[in-house]
Amino acid sequence: IFEKDSTVNCTAEVLYHLGNKNAAPDVQFTIEGELKNTDEADNLFYNRIKSLKNELVAENIPDSYGNVPPEMEPIRALAWAASGYVIWKNSNENTKYQLAQIKHVKQVKRSDEYLEFDYMILLHENVSQEIIPWQMTVLWHPQHGIEVTQNSRQPKHV
Amino acid sequence: MKLMIEQGQVWLYNRIVQMKHSVQIYPHLLWIVCTKMWLFLGMTFSLGILIPGKLCSDLQYDGDQVLHIVPETFQQVQHLQHLCSTLMLDLWKPQQLEDIRAGEDLHIRVPAPLVQEVKDSLDQHMISYKVLINDVQELVDESVLKERSQRQVPESYNYTEYHPMEEIYEWMTQIEKSSELVTQHYLGNTVENRTIYYLQISQPSNKPKKIIWMDCGIHAREWIAPAFCQWFVKEILQNYESDATIRRFLQNLDLYVLPVINVDGYIYSWEAERLWRKNRAPYMNGTCYGTDLNRNFNSSWGSVGVSFNCTSEVFCGSGPESEPETRAVVQLIEQKKSDILCYLTVHSYGQYILTPYGSTTTPPSNNEELMQVAEKAAAALMGKYGTSYKVGSTSLILYSNSGSSRDWAHMIGIPFSYTFELRDNGTYGFVLPPDQIQPTCEETMLAVTTIIDYVDQKYFPGGAVMLTSGSLSLSLCLSVVFTWIAS
Repeated sequence: IFEKDSTVNCTAEVLYHLGNKNAAPDVQFTIEGELKNTDEADNLFYNRIKSLKNELVAENIPDSYGNVPPEMEPIRALAWAASGYVIWKNSNENTKYQLAQIKHVKQVKRSDEYLEFDYMILLHENVSQEIIPWQMTVLWHPQHGIEVTQNSRQPKHV
Repeated sequence: MKLMIEQGQVWLYNRIVQMKHSVQIYPHLLWIVCTKMWLFLGMTFSLGILIPGKLCSDLQYDGDQVLHIVPETFQQVQHLQHLCSTLMLDLWKPQQLEDIRAGEDLHIRVPAPLVQEVKDSLDQHMISYKVLINDVQELVDESVLKERSQRQVPESYNYTEYHPMEEIYEWMTQIEKSSELVTQHYLGNTVENRTIYYLQISQPSNKPKKIIWMDCGIHAREWIAPAFCQWFVKEILQNYESDATIRRFLQNLDLYVLPVINVDGYIYSWEAERLWRKNRAPYMNGTCYGTDLNRNFNSSWGSVGVSFNCTSEVFCGSGPESEPETRAVVQLIEQKKSDILCYLTVHSYGQYILTPYGSTTTPPSNNEELMQVAEKAAAALMGKYGTSYKVGSTSLILYSNSGSSRDWAHMIGIPFSYTFELRDNGTYGFVLPPDQIQPTCEETMLAVTTIIDYVDQKYFPGGAVMLTSGSLSLSLCLSVVFTWIAS
């Protein structure tokens, strides 16, 4: 696991189901050491979004040149984490997915304390080399963590 | 002499008045100034020599102005002629005092210290004027800068950012001009009829050379690859005199570098779809585009790891070498294959140095050596920033694929064939941030030169050592002889 100033080792055991090819692999993992505490940054981001007059909207993160504006870094980190869930759910022995780009993200205003973002991401599948658009709805709260409430594979536009 | 000055003046004048930024006025301005100075001195000393350049370069035009006047009456003409000759003003238009006429443009350069005096005199005689050039030196400086940047491409071209195809084409032209080691060559045309060029880096010599081939950008979205090809060329040209390794292998090897094979795809990834991979060949009546060029070569074509459906990213084309880009590479390499020792193809991402084959797990005949050299290269790469590369055959450590250029190169007999997959590991993938261009290129440079150096030492062994021992024994002989003569 890569953090700005340190690297934390994580070992995982991944078991692919031989029978049920559609089931997500079974993953057991151990993190050696401790993950950095991000409470301060989390709360800063949370408050920033909460206080926005208009819902956040953004496109192409990173942009074509690989640039991510600093204020979009948390949006990207959130997508990275959420896509991990989507990837896990859709992985088998013959796939290798990575988040390639956030095509579009829109904040959905909520009455409760959660932040909600509607993402359209592009996943890169390394074996077929396909770029797969994927929609995912992400809920997040600094203390309650992240949840992907909805996700669906999108058709490749011609 | 006067005629030459006038012609030079006209030339200079025309350029400046056009106010174009591509003006290269400096040498001519310098020349004019030199000759004018000579004239001035010549009046006193009648010297027939040219003033050395050093003196001339100290002459400045700071604050000199060029005035535009249209004399209205004959009296005004007379006054202007008088003014110009007394103060020895620099006539830009017309060229001679006697050609100043009422109703016609007059342009004069007034040296800075005389500007106020001249303007006052014009005001006094109710002659209206406009300032055409506010500061001649500024223009001179600008054109010098432009000229310098056009000549010294390695210094002004930004190798740490991504460049669109137009700029890469321009870069190739400029890099050829900037060095006698580089020549640009036509390889072929793309589907959309764009030109594919490669650069040949060759140390002039009588020796027959062997060839190292490197291509980048088979896959459009892998922008770091063409960036590396350009970086590589720049590094070689900047360091071939100072770096012993490069100097050595350039004595024996010519480097052929193809910065972008898939030109159409690359442009498409800039203008339409950043993550485009294939070329832009239309299929199915234009309802589907693109063949994966790295599945299109004649190396077990169509057997594994491909799709026959155009909509797939690994569509292998309608047949082996169906694509003009593939054919362009094939025809050149076929032609020169007996001289090509090394075929390198650069991709991203994943951080691998891949050996043959992708189409089968059966190892190539020289597998052990291939692996050994690749490991050495990966180690050299890692030494720079700690970046870890995996080494192995595509079919074993990555996936199966047929029709790759690297497999084909090895199959036709090129012994050292490698695929590079550059940074990163998936964090940014194809969209690698520009601040990683430099470190990626620096570390990859080490890997590539390790391979080239190995190939050089293997096929051209001991050259340097023999030279030293030869000259050593010669000098020993001579010293013995001289001692003997002296005694």
